[in-house]
Amino acid sequence: MKHRITIDPITRLEGHGKIEIFLDKEGAVKNVYFQVPELRGFEKFVEGRPVEELSQIVTKICGVCPGCHHMAAGKATDEVFGVTPPPTALKLRELFYMAHFVHSHIAHFYALAAPDFVVGPDADPGERNILGVINKVGLEIGTEVIKQRRIAQEIQALLGGHQTHVVMNIPGGVRKGLTTEQRDDIRKKAEGFIEFAKFSLKIFDDVVLANEKYVDIILNGPYALDLYSMGLVDDNNHVNFYDGKVRVVDQDGSEHCKYAANEYREYISERVEPWSYLKFPYLKKVGWKGFVEGKDSGVYHATPLSRLNAADGMATPLAQEQYERMYKVLGGKPVHNTLAMHWARLVELLYSAERCLELASDPDITGKELRAKIDRNKITGEGVGIVEAQRGTLTHHYWTDEKGIVVKANIIVGTTNNNAAICMSLKKAAEGLIEPGKEVGQGILNMIEMAFRAYDPCFSCATHRLPGDMPLIVNIRDDNNEIVQTVRRD
Amino acid sequence: MITETNKNILVLGIGNEMLKDDGIGPKLVKKLQNFLPSENIDYMTSLLGGMETIEIMKGYDEVVIIDGIITDDGIPGTVYYMTYPLNMKTLHLSNAHDISFDMSVKLARRLNIPFPERIRIIAIEILEDREFGEELTEPLQERYGEIFSTIAGMVQESACCQ
Repeated sequence: MKHRITIDPITRLEGHGKIEIFLDKEGAVKNVYFQVPELRGFEKFVEGRPVEELSQIVTKICGVCPGCHHMAAGKATDEVFGVTPPPTALKLRELFYMAHFVHSHIAHFYALAAPDFVVGPDADPGERNILGVINKVGLEIGTEVIKQRRIAQEIQALLGGHQTHVVMNIPGGVRKGLTTEQRDDIRKKAEGFIEFAKFSLKIFDDVVLANEKYVDIILNGPYALDLYSMGLVDDNNHVNFYDGKVRVVDQDGSEHCKYAANEYREYISERVEPWSYLKFPYLKKVGWKGFVEGKDSGVYHATPLSRLNAADGMATPLAQEQYERMYKVLGGKPVHNTLAMHWARLVELLYSAERCLELASDPDITGKELRAKIDRNKITGEGVGIVEAQRGTLTHHYWTDEKGIVVKANIIVGTTNNNAAICMSLKKAAEGLIEPGKEVGQGILNMIEMAFRAYDPCFSCATHRLPGDMPLIVNIRDDNNEIVQTVRRD
Repeated sequence: MITETNKNILVLGIGNEMLKDDGIGPKLVKKLQNFLPSENIDYMTSLLGGMETIEIMKGYDEVVIIDGIITDDGIPGTVYYMTYPLNMKTLHLSNAHDISFDMSVKLARRLNIPFPERIRIIAIEILEDREFGEELTEPLQERYGEIFSTIAGMVQESACCQ
């Protein structure tokens, strides 16, 4: 008898994804498919548009990380025009981007990750949410989450013109500069971010690391994958979100490759599976060997954890301390435990906060030279922009005609990089948690979902996405496609 | 975004105007703003749910949300009137990277953030919210005048009852 379990989130705003778990005759997990059955197609929409419009168009791809698309598009457009923005413009872009990371990482940790650990992975779903977190750690934490997140949004709105539909970047620079008053205000706010990031890491210490059960789940639960790790690094091989080269390290931490944005096609290929509209990128020189782990498989992940794995350290002092501590506690570099992504995300939160303060303290940040001169007769016809989005390495590649009209575009978004890894993580979690003959309850369902949630996936730009705090239905079907068990979470 | 207002009522259109009928909330709110200007009412549109909802709604006594909805066997153009808390899920205000609308309201109240006592939801049965396009589908275009009149009446009633 074949059984089939469907985890089908009922949501529509940013799309629809589905997890299919197939059981064998004995009721053990046979296979798991994470399907994305819908298509957005932004790569086609942008064809025929002037390339300078793209940094505005792509912010409409998704309301979750519009700033990331804006930055990747801005960088690709600079290259199409063959210009490098002046230092002030580059620093303003990065300052905006650090606020974007602060806002996003706070939301993910407190709204999506913390409930599993603070309240408990198998707790009643009615309690396992941000309210449950607040009930455990205090009302003032909730107030601070809302406050810090809002402040980060305000910085984005100030620099970007709009917090969601950003209009900051223009070819060769940015639209507007920063006054000294505004700079001073951002500095104060950045100091607040640093304190809040330190506090968040302390919560992780007190609640997660002090609990043997949780440490055991992170280290020994069915959540580890032996994959290559990808991340953007600066000249010192330190983590950088806005600029640098993409570095990939293997399962032992040795460098597999390091490439500039315009070289990405020499290193990355994309594979299509008939059951999903979301592509499966892999390391070209290793090759696609299927959904398998190990050095012979080109599957990689591009996540907060992979970024730390791929780097030699953090560029800011407090984040560096936390980076060293994380690897010491988890047994050295690289780490392959999926749930350690939450810890890595907090280290990145601290880095973003520190970098925000560094940039706001930089004398160049209030400079008046905001844009390099553009010559429409010198259009190169091609540009690639790569940044780290919160949920993975983001690549925008545009081809234009001699007038700068887009003739083709390729976008590899953060979550797309992790498509194969997510499928494999789900399978591993399901194999480890579903026992033949035993009912799949809410706790098991949530622990399978935890493997997915760690990636902080978003499919509105990758095409579509899944859970968090949303309805979930698990149907277990027999050979005749009859439902024999339903687990529902509304 | 910080909402600083001395007005009592917020009329909030939710949706993405690039996704056909999904944009009906913002479209109606923009028209209402001209049709029913009031010293007592702020009109706003938003694409986002989650914690952003708290920032948008805080400080008002009452919020009237106008959004699209798809129900089983629903007839496009039908207008539903609901009050929070709901016995159903509001799908549009859910976001994978954030908390749901319901959780946002509970969170704001738990944190003692000044938050509307009354939250009313006017939902319009729609046909298509996944395809790109700035125009409404034909059934909604045909009933748009009727929908607008119904909703204007509801909003006016809210303003009068303050």
